Amino acid sequence: MVADPDTNMAGPNGVENDATPPFDRIVADYGGLISRIAMSYEADPTLREDLTQQIFLAVWQALPSYRADATLKTFIAKVAQNRSISYVARQARQPRVAEIPETLEAEDGTPEQHAIHANEREALLEATRQLAMPQREVIILVLEGFTYTEIGDMLNIAPNALALRLSRAKAALKKILEPGR
Amino acid sequence: MTEFDLDRLGDVWRQQPDPAELEALRRVADAVRRRARWSQLIDVLAALVVAGVVLVLALSNPRKEALIVGGAAIVALLYSIVRQRRLREAELRGLTGSAEEMLDQSIARVQATLKRAKFGAVMTTPALVLGLALGYLTDRRSPGDPVSWYHGQPGLVAAVLALACGSLAIAMFFVFRSMRNSRQELERLTGLREAYHKEGEQGLRSD
Repeated sequence: MVADPDTNMAGPNGVENDATPPFDRIVADYGGLISRIAMSYEADPTLREDLTQQIFLAVWQALPSYRADATLKTFIAKVAQNRSISYVARQARQPRVAEIPETLEAEDGTPEQHAIHANEREALLEATRQLAMPQREVIILVLEGFTYTEIGDMLNIAPNALALRLSRAKAALKKILEPGR
Repeated sequence: MTEFDLDRLGDVWRQQPDPAELEALRRVADAVRRRARWSQLIDVLAALVVAGVVLVLALSNPRKEALIVGGAAIVALLYSIVRQRRLREAELRGLTGSAEEMLDQSIARVQATLKRAKFGAVMTTPALVLGLALGYLTDRRSPGDPVSWYHGQPGLVAAVLALACGSLAIAMFFVFRSMRNSRQELERLTGLREAYHKEGEQGLRSD
């Protein structure tokens, strides 16, 4: 039987029992999440690899403190976000932000749709990197598909405050992605 | 994109990395885990080796002085282990708490680092003066001893002085550079904390 990564944990003590999905499994299940969070805080590929390593190490160190009162996904997202925020604070220079394409029209059914989709994703990533940190944090969690209850718990803020922060973040993101509108 | 739709953007956002990217991620994670395990193992082995050496030395020469020095070494080792453990726990709280808590903790850490660095820099001059004064007061040269020979070689004295001054200048350069980096980090942390504070205040005003 395959262990459910949302209800079990892996530890850095090297002992992985039945209740512990191996770290490999965590990487396979949540590697994409970690990679996207790293991308939304650092555009430079070399520095991003360094940030990704820091996040993996942080997850590995924090896993023994995981309690199943939240899903493993929320736990990993919180650790990854906190490590990324502290990474930004430590950087001597501001993380690189690239130019944003003027429009993001992706639904035109052209043969290059896949490439356009990838461009759209890159533009979205660049736009999130331009958001103020509290807004970036909340937008990333919404884009990752977390529920508002989960986000409120992760950020430790009341539903009203979350709604306001999200609304401001959404407006800021829209302004960056659709500057003419 | 005709409408600003976060759900649709979420679909774009959550595209899975391609297999090559996933493989690269797996390799990075493996390397990180391996290094972390080795680091833990080396910490434990180093502690055991130090404790073992101290015990062997103390037991093979069971004089009062040896036992006192051995005991002090063991106490220092235990203190270092407890301190490392506390630092790890504090780091863990920062990782698993809210961003605001993590920022508060980081600000306190950088402020403490800056305070220590400032104290070290300020104490350098009095420490040097004290060291020179002590050297002068305890100078009991007699003809033929190595100290007298050393003072009789002006070139050697000048070289040692130049080396000492150079080392001090390099050390001070690193201390001041580290202080500048800490100040910049503190500014960034304070700026981020302020951004969260403003968001919180705006949330409260809207309630």
